[in-house]
Amino acid sequence: MEMIERYTRAARWFHWLIAIVFFEMALSGLLIFLPWVPSGTIGMWTRLIHRIGAVFLVGAPAIFMLFAWQRSWDFIKEAFTWGKEDLEWLRAAPGYYFGGDPRMMPPQGYINTGMKLYRISIILGGGVFLITGFIMTFLRGIVPPAVFQWCLVLHDVTFIVAIGMFLLHFQLGVFHPRMDESLLSMFDGKVSGVYAKSHHGKWYDGVNNRDDDNSSE
Amino acid sequence: MSDKAILFNTTRCIACRGCQVACKQWNETDEVIPTEQNSVRSVNRGSYENPPDLSPKTWMTIKFIEKPQGDSIEWFFNRRSCMHCTEAACVEVCPSGALYHNEDGFVTYDKDKCTGCGYCEQYCPFDVPRLDTNIVTGVGKMDKCTLCTTPSLNRLSAGEEPACVNTCPTHALVFGDRDELISEAKTLVTGLQTTGSRVYPKATLYGEQELGGLHVLYVLTDSPGVYGLPENPQFPIAATLQRDVFRPLTKVVWLMVAGGLALNVLIAWFRQRQLSEENSHGND
Repeated sequence: MEMIERYTRAARWFHWLIAIVFFEMALSGLLIFLPWVPSGTIGMWTRLIHRIGAVFLVGAPAIFMLFAWQRSWDFIKEAFTWGKEDLEWLRAAPGYYFGGDPRMMPPQGYINTGMKLYRISIILGGGVFLITGFIMTFLRGIVPPAVFQWCLVLHDVTFIVAIGMFLLHFQLGVFHPRMDESLLSMFDGKVSGVYAKSHHGKWYDGVNNRDDDNSSE
Repeated sequence: MSDKAILFNTTRCIACRGCQVACKQWNETDEVIPTEQNSVRSVNRGSYENPPDLSPKTWMTIKFIEKPQGDSIEWFFNRRSCMHCTEAACVEVCPSGALYHNEDGFVTYDKDKCTGCGYCEQYCPFDVPRLDTNIVTGVGKMDKCTLCTTPSLNRLSAGEEPACVNTCPTHALVFGDRDELISEAKTLVTGLQTTGSRVYPKATLYGEQELGGLHVLYVLTDSPGVYGLPENPQFPIAATLQRDVFRPLTKVVWLMVAGGLALNVLIAWFRQRQLSEENSHGND
């Protein structure tokens, strides 16, 4: 069976590192608001763990950007590059994701419009988490209390959205019957040609042309 | 049981700061006095005020506010400590439930539960709680006036007055039932406004209505602003939003998203099976 590389080894490691740290951050952040969780010393530990997680969550992308700035820039540019086919995707998506005729969906590039929206939410949400978190950690007592208060509100609201987006990501990657190769591809990095063609038609054509060029040399 | 309160009558205060000392003695919040050879190291901050601010080990201070009055100055003395609000933002935002109202209506805390997050410090309309939290690790504790109800140092349960009240030589500080103190304070304010060798037309009672009623009441000779008190202290809007909107909404939103996604999987799975069955029938 024809297999196409979709995620490089570095991308996969990066994905799972971020996944683990995101889970750790979400849990340690959530714990302090659950009244049945023991407070005091354990609450201090969860706050410390939250800070250590923040170092990874900020540091990992920073290092990735440092060593692969071109890919990082493309990652951002790709998310914000929108065209006519994105509007078509938005129109066709509800039918498609509820199990309608897949032929109604216009062919997609390496990432589809939904993935673009997910990336945008990560970039914007990550930015809000980073800025508000930095202010609350290091500038408490230096910035006016009102700034701290609104940082806390923003941090919380962004978290509510982030968990919603994570649930969506988790559902599509693990449970959705249409994304049957999604989870595995994040482990071995490959998708089948059939999957690539049906889910990312434009990307598949591009990869195939490149392969053809290579073989003609 | 009716709420208790402290009444601070500024016209009686001579700023001896006996209350500050008694507070430290009783609550065991001694601080190391910095010394140099043969003397105590002192700093001139341009005021008799000392220490200059509240700290984890200084739960109350007397402020010396100076207003020029002809060739001289007029002093306004103010007691700065926890106001023990009825609508206490610190209690509301405390994630670990360390801060709470006790049966007398005072805002006290279980220090073992405190995680040192500092939300109370940042939401307090009077800037009272103080933390020794490490900025890098986030480990630390908050401290503030407990109105002498700290466990094992609880004067009130032993039938005593708070240490600051007990020691006040001029009875500028009085402890009692809040309702009785309010009527007493109102009489004092009316007296200040109308009678005596000097009348204070702006004399006022502070703390009766503010934030649902403070448990430290102030008889002031001038407007609260002169004493460095916020004229109209507010429960922070951010705390109201958190309490009334975002926190209750969170569970609803997450449950709805999770439910919707689960439903989506079921429908997609079912319809996909239908489609493949139709196709296989078509191929027959």
